[in-house]
Amino acid sequence: MSRDGITGLAVLAASLVLFGLTLELKQNPLVPIGPGFYPRIVLGITAVLAAALVVFDFLGAKQTRKTQVINYSLVLAVFAIFGLYVGALPFLGFRIATFVFMAVLQTALDLPRNKKGWIVVAVTAFVTTAVTYIVFEHYLHVLLPRGRWTDF
Amino acid sequence: MYELLLAGIENVLQAKYFVPLALGTLIGILGGALPGITNTMTVIMVLPFTFGLEPLQGLSAMIGVYVGGESGGLITSCLLGIPGKPSSIATMFDGFPMSQKGEPGRALWLGIWASFFGGLLGAIFLIGTTEPLARMALEFGPWEYFSLFVFALSMVAGLTGDSITKGLLAGAIGLVVTVMGNDPVMGQPRLTLGIRFLEGGIPFLPVLIGVFAFAQIMSDVERIGKARDPLTGFVAPRLVVSHAKVIWEILSRPFLLLWTSFVGVLIGVLPGIGGSAANVMAYDQAKKFSRHPERFGTGTPEGIIASEAANNSNVGGSLVTIMAFGIPGDAVTAVMLGALTIHGIQPGPLFISQEPKLAYGIFAAYVIAHFLMIVILFIGVRWFLLIVTVPKSILFPVILVLCVIGAFALDNTMSNVYVLLLFGLVGYGMVKGGLPLAPLILGVILGDQIEINLIRSIMTDSNPWLFVTRPISGGLLAAAVASMAFAFWQHRRAKRA
Repeated sequence: MSRDGITGLAVLAASLVLFGLTLELKQNPLVPIGPGFYPRIVLGITAVLAAALVVFDFLGAKQTRKTQVINYSLVLAVFAIFGLYVGALPFLGFRIATFVFMAVLQTALDLPRNKKGWIVVAVTAFVTTAVTYIVFEHYLHVLLPRGRWTDF
Repeated sequence: MYELLLAGIENVLQAKYFVPLALGTLIGILGGALPGITNTMTVIMVLPFTFGLEPLQGLSAMIGVYVGGESGGLITSCLLGIPGKPSSIATMFDGFPMSQKGEPGRALWLGIWASFFGGLLGAIFLIGTTEPLARMALEFGPWEYFSLFVFALSMVAGLTGDSITKGLLAGAIGLVVTVMGNDPVMGQPRLTLGIRFLEGGIPFLPVLIGVFAFAQIMSDVERIGKARDPLTGFVAPRLVVSHAKVIWEILSRPFLLLWTSFVGVLIGVLPGIGGSAANVMAYDQAKKFSRHPERFGTGTPEGIIASEAANNSNVGGSLVTIMAFGIPGDAVTAVMLGALTIHGIQPGPLFISQEPKLAYGIFAAYVIAHFLMIVILFIGVRWFLLIVTVPKSILFPVILVLCVIGAFALDNTMSNVYVLLLFGLVGYGMVKGGLPLAPLILGVILGDQIEINLIRSIMTDSNPWLFVTRPISGGLLAAAVASMAFAFWQHRRAKRA
């Protein structure tokens, strides 16, 4: 099974689970159309299309795809760092979390090889944090997250 | 109409609107010039800055980004042979060979001036057609709206990506996203999976930001360390050119300019297709109409003029659909739609009559942005070439921080940031699964409206045949079927070729 077949199966499974959940929605006697009416149509169409993708993949000619060298470990690392940043924001606050995030992500994407490289990382992290904080909080009046642990 | 337009121009020339417009144009050019940074990414980065501004200030900045981005993309296309963004691909076919022949200034400025003239032709279309189309849409009932949105979705699903099934599936996934949360009739929670922040539904802006930002950034991240950076060791060339000669080269081909601008506008009006298709299709048209098609690809000015006039006039077409019908023509106008809704303004048929000052301000900003684009490029094009060498390791973290601010600032809650992260994973997963992103986004944007109009029409009259027998609704559904049939035919032809 190729990429399309796997995608189709994943979407088919998810849409069937959600379709099952719509059957639990209670019909309101006051309105002729219940809350599950439209979701069932949409999920039904999704399931049919996903099934079609699986069938086409099964019946279709197998294509040989060009093999590309892909740095999945770096992709995973970026998602993990971003996830940690999002998780840390309510606890550390925007300023601390953003400074750390900027520094860590820059390092992960391109590890500094000398002292100058580390200075660039630190300065970029500091300037980005400071500029975004000042511009948004003071000039655009957009409140940025405060930390529950740091109150900063 | 012209009084309103003049008042709009006068309004936008005030410093408080002019400065965001100029900054937006500059940022758009820079974003457009950076390979791998699309207009959507740039406008997403600018979005959080617009939250604290007046609607016209924010929209001026976004229109500046849009216009500047369409032109900025040609810089690296012409000089490096790397398209700054997908809508500059065809520009590269002749722009780069012309540069290699020792005329980089001519290649670049042919593109810039063609963008300018194409954009102004797009503006004439935008200003002339938005109001009549909006007036026509005022006659629509829920049946027509439902059919219009289905038509828009079918167009996008059919014409994007390499498979119609995948396009339709991506659109359907977008619709699934909108059924999570409270139902629009009685407010009953549905499909929230026990997650509290889903009870209020999933707002489309964090979805859009997450999907596009991560899909693009991760597609670049996965190549870091595995492929050589094409900008390494790049030295900016001298760009000496006679502007009068370049302008004459363009204006002495009026049919080419008008026709390819028309192609751009037409593709802009069709939802979700975007500047990249306009760029390539206009190039193809120019080649078909040329007396010397064999010269295309070797550095002919017609190729540059056609592709750049089309991608800038395309912006005018995209703005028509959002202002007349409330349907985004592409991802950039989808972000603009989000910016409007944040300010409590709903684009659609009533927009131009209820918000004439804002609507004509948008028209004016679009026109003025083209003049600003010329001035900014005239002053700084050589410097912009140096800025494109900014390392991705600095750029990507900054973009992600701006994405977080954009999502958080929507209503000052972390839930939108969680949606951003979730749909970042979904977006990247979809790219890896080969599913196109544009239908997903249009599904998310139109899903609520499709449901509301479907329910409204059934509650008004339960006869389902009304969708087909009402002339406009039936026509739109027929157009949806025709667009799918066309897409099937196109895909079959492409497979055979």
